[in-house]
This record gives sequence, C-alpha cells and structure tokens, in this order.
Amino acid sequence: MKRKGRGTRRRESARSSGLSWGKRKVELVKILVGVVLPYVAVLVFLAGMIYRLYTWKKLASPPMTLFPAPPTEARNTLNTLQEVLFFKSLFSGDRVLWCFAWAFHAVLALIVLGHFRVFTNVDAILRAVGMSDENIQAMSSTAGGAAGVLILVALALLLVRRLALPRVREITGVADYLALVLLAAIILTGDMMRFSPQHFDLALTREYFAGLATFSGVRAMEVLKNNLFLVHMCLAFVLIMAIPFSKILHLGGIFFTHQLIRKQ
Amino acid sequence: MSDKSAKEQVVDSIKAIKNGPRAGRMYMEMCAKCGVCSTVCPVYYGKSEKRYNPAERTDLIRRIYRKYCTISGRLFGRLAGAEDFNPDDLEEWQKIFYECTGCRRCASFCPFGIDHSVITRKGRAILDQLGMTPATMQKVVDISLKTGNTDGASAAAFKAAIEFLEEEMEEEHGTPIKIPVDVKGAEYFYVPPSGDVLVNPEATMGVAKVFHVLGMADKWTMSSKCFDGANYGLFTGNDADMKADNKLYVDETKDLGAEVLLMGECGHAHRIMKMMMEKTGWWGKLDFEVTNCMQWTADHIRNNRLEFDKSKNPQPVTYHDPCNFGRSCDIVEEPRVILEASCADFREMHPNRGQNWCCGGGGGLSAMDDIHQFRMEVSGRKKLEQIRETGAKYVATACSNCKRQLTQLMEHHKEEIDVGGVHDMLSRAILINGNAAERKDYI
Repeated sequence: MKRKGRGTRRRESARSSGLSWGKRKVELVKILVGVVLPYVAVLVFLAGMIYRLYTWKKLASPPMTLFPAPPTEARNTLNTLQEVLFFKSLFSGDRVLWCFAWAFHAVLALIVLGHFRVFTNVDAILRAVGMSDENIQAMSSTAGGAAGVLILVALALLLVRRLALPRVREITGVADYLALVLLAAIILTGDMMRFSPQHFDLALTREYFAGLATFSGVRAMEVLKNNLFLVHMCLAFVLIMAIPFSKILHLGGIFFTHQLIRKQ
Repeated sequence: MSDKSAKEQVVDSIKAIKNGPRAGRMYMEMCAKCGVCSTVCPVYYGKSEKRYNPAERTDLIRRIYRKYCTISGRLFGRLAGAEDFNPDDLEEWQKIFYECTGCRRCASFCPFGIDHSVITRKGRAILDQLGMTPATMQKVVDISLKTGNTDGASAAAFKAAIEFLEEEMEEEHGTPIKIPVDVKGAEYFYVPPSGDVLVNPEATMGVAKVFHVLGMADKWTMSSKCFDGANYGLFTGNDADMKADNKLYVDETKDLGAEVLLMGECGHAHRIMKMMMEKTGWWGKLDFEVTNCMQWTADHIRNNRLEFDKSKNPQPVTYHDPCNFGRSCDIVEEPRVILEASCADFREMHPNRGQNWCCGGGGGLSAMDDIHQFRMEVSGRKKLEQIRETGAKYVATACSNCKRQLTQLMEHHKEEIDVGGVHDMLSRAILINGNAAERKDYI
C-alpha cells in the first residue's frame, strides 16, 4: 500500500469535520457581520448620538446676533425647519449645489423610508390605504429602483463637483472622500441587489431582522449567503456607526447652529 | 509668560474649545466642506487661493481639535482629518488669522450658520496669548490702554479739538453751537470713535447740530477721559482687554449720571456695547440704555423735527453698510433715513444692508499699515468694484475703520471719490435758523 503523507491525514480530518479552514474563516466573518455587528453598530450609534447631543446641549450659548434675523422664536423655528427640509439658504446661495445636495438628501430620505419594508412587514398599512399586492410590489420595484439610480447619479454629481471646483477641492481631505466612497459602495451594492436576477428573499430577510430585533437568537441565517446583502449591510452599519463621530452629523447639528446664529 | 511650551499652550487653548461656548465647538464638528463660504468671502474674492479660503483657515485649528478632542481623530488620525500642531506654523498663523476681516458674511450664507469670524478670533486669541499679536495691531492696543483712545490723544488735545470744532460751527452758522464736555447729570453721553473728533470731525459736528436744533444743547455731554468707543480687545481676541476697556465707559456713564449712552458712528463699538455688554449682561443690571446716534437722529427726522437743504449735497452719494452695523446690529435703515434727508442724489450699492460686502479693512485690519498691499488688492477688491458701479462721488459710512480703509482704497486706485461719515452729510445740509452751513472746503 502506498504510504500517505502527514498532510493527508490533516486534510482528511478536516474534510471529515465538514468545513475547510478557509470556509471556517468565511463563516466567522458572516457571524461577525450578521450577528455581532448589528448589535454593536446600533449600540455605538445610540451611545454616540446621546453623547454628542448631550454635550452640545449643555454648552453655554450666548446670542450671536446675525441679521437679518427672524423677529420671533417661532419664526426662527420655522426657518430652521425650512432649512432642514428644503435647504433654503442653499437655494438662494448656490443653486447648483442645491440641486445636487437636495436631490441626494431627499432621495435618501425616501430610500430610508422604503427600507422599512425590508425590515418588517408594513404591507398591511399599505393595503389598508387601498394598495393591492401587485401595486405594492410595483411601487417597490419602480420607485425603489428609480430612487436607487437617482441617488447614485446625485452622489456622482456631488463627487464630480468636489473634484472639479478648485474652491471645494482645495478644502477637501481624505475623510471627505472616504465618506463619499462609503456611500457609493452602499448605494452600488443596494442597486446591484435590486437589479440582479438573484435579488433577495424578502420574507427571509424580514425574519432575519425580526430575530435580531427581538433578541430571540439568529434566525434565517441563509440570507447571509448572499454576498451582496452581506457587504451592503456591513457597510451600512459602518456608516451608521460613523454618523455620531463625523461631519455627517451636520444633519443633526444644524438644529443647534441655525438656532444659535439666527437669534435676535 | 507661562513656562509651558508654545505647543502646549496652543494645544491647551484648542482643547478648551470643547468646553464651550457652543458655537466654537460646533463649528469644529459641523463643517461639511461644501465651499459656499468661499463664494461670499471678500478676501477669497480678491484672490482665489487655498490660503484665503475661509474653510481652510478654520481647518488650521479644526485639524488640531480633531487630533486631541474627537474620538475619530484620536483613532484614525489623518484618515479622519486630524493633524498635530507644528510650532513652526505659528509665523504663518500670525499672518493668516489677520487675513480674515471678521466680516461674518460667511455666517450669513453658510447652510449651517458657521461663523468663521469666531474661529478667526480664537486663532488671534491663541497668538495673543503667546505674545504674537502683530506689531501694528499691538501698537494700537498699547496706545489705547495708555491714553484711553486709539489715536493716542491726551485729554487736553481732545478739549482743544472740541474747541476748534465749536469755532468751526460758529463760523458756519453765525451762532454758537456748543459741544459740552464732562458735564455731570447730562441726559445723553455721546461716545464716538476718536477719529470722529480728531480726523473726520464733521460727524461730531453733525450730532452737535442736531442737539442744538432740538434745543437740547444742555442735555448732552462728551467726556475728556472717555472719547473713543473703539475697543481693540475685540480684534486681538483678548477678552480681558475687551472687557477692561468696556468697563471704563460703563463706569464713566454711571459717573456722569447719564440716562442714555449714545454711541457714535463706530460699528464694533456699538456692537460690543449693545449686543455683547448690554445683551449678555457683562456688568449686571444697568440704569442707562444704550442706543446709537444714527437711531436717535433718524427718529427725529422721521418725526419732522429737523430741516435740510439737500442742495448742499448735490453729488451722488452712496452708503457702505459697515459689517458690524449691518450684519451684527441691524442698524440699516436709520443711516439711510439721514442720508436721504440730507442728500440730493442718494443711491444704493448692491447688495446692501445685511448682505453688504466688507470694506476689506474689518477686524482691525485697516489699522495695520504693513498689510496695506493686501487690503488694497485683495480684501478690498470687491468693495472697489461695488463703489465704482454706483457712480457715486461720495461714500458715506458709519465706521472709522471703514473710512480709513475706503479712503486708502480710493487713493490707491486713483478714484476721485470722497469718503466720510453719515452725520457729515447731515452737518452740511441741516438748517439752523433757516440756513444751512456756510462751509469752507473740508479736505
């Protein structure tokens, strides 16, 4: 009989245990991303947001008087809302930037809204307002798909602007480009899921998130076999974690700074 | 002098931003680098270089703040835009933080309301702490602390100047018009910039004439101790100096027993007195109110108590809104009321009021002779264009520093355009006993 080498025994024992070492690493990554990361990310996000908002709120803020200013507190609040919802000052200050930035943020808001459908079953609400199942599916594909493309275009335009205009390029650092790249990767993987034939399994995904949210153990782990889904979710959680600790929080801080400077 | 190294002092100072006020800290964390501020900055307009980009200037401090004060900065360093402070940069900082006029135009247009002037002032405060305030600026501070005014004039010189003005007015109108000095119990205490007594005195004459016409010649006074509203502690970033200077005037108002502190044509003086001292209560409750001579005069004009001969000011006149009056204090209509009453051909420049462009000499820069070239070619460029567009032959403005900068700007660019104050125009046109002034030609 031919003598087998030592390595053969290891290979044989590994094969007999059902998983190769390479595959084990992949499983580990999937567990880290699919099970550990969601909890860590939400925790980091919540802790970070509370920390940031609390520290901002408790700092002294003497009035800074910048005119023209709204004559009443109510009017100031209205202005702040208009700024947050419609980017009012950008509209009059830099119309081109307003187009790109508002398009990006508005579509993003719609996409975030649409994602509720992925996490959980909101179809009942939609059916209650008279939408049929086909309508809901159509809305998801067309509106969702269109949003996915639009936001990518808006992002690309913002990136091009940042590179093409010297006065913006010269103040842009690595961190600013990284943020754009991260966003682009998330959007791209999302679009690829939308437009790939494989798509993803909605029911299974909902079950997976339900399991996480109710802390009832991880269910429907098969979703993690979809690499696009894995990457998309991983990057999205990275983004969520980064929000409290980066300039992306200009979204929240604007309430403070706008109120601060527009007081009479 | 502290025995901490320069680097330690700077880093400590920047770390202190974390503890507030809220504005400083948020501006460190909120800038999205959108680039809108550079489109509205007069300095960047004059020369579109990275060095003059407002977001870049504040990033000098922001990068260090990130390194020492933010979690992402400490963890990821350069990837998160964090950098350590290099003491060799201090020499450049000394120039760069005095290349921003603190006009706050950026704050008006930034979608987040980020006010770069706050960070500029912080940068200047850091320099001041290290004894590195530029010599031309420090000189003014020293003179001011020594003599109580930025022109370095003694009380005797002031009184002599006042007497001279009284003589001038008597010659103009054939009747004595007084400027009371050091009168206790007078209702109004008038505090102009010292330039409005010693350099461009027609403004003070204008105020005196208004009191005279209203029959209130005995209701006001000036002070031979405190005749300069200018407060350079604002410009050097030195809060202690700013408050000390301010206290002198608050105390003098109390000593004189005045009911109204009537601020003169000086933007930053009014802003400090009204928007900072009074509004945030530096010295507790006051038993006098703070108002501006332009508001006071405009009220009388609106109530038809003054009469004018506009033909005395036939030339086209335009108004430059000083940043501190326009953007920081909202005193924009009153100077126009005065000018439209006194001038035959008043015309606006565009944009104006709270959106006006800085003269280029703001933030105390107009006092610095060593950056004359910068002020004439870079920071003042947009203003020059604006003024030329109006076709005006006289630019009225309510700020000594603006007057200095604009006068130099016109001279440097060979424009035959006069620069002066708002009450100057009033002084030339106001009717006393039915007649306007018989003027000699003032230069």
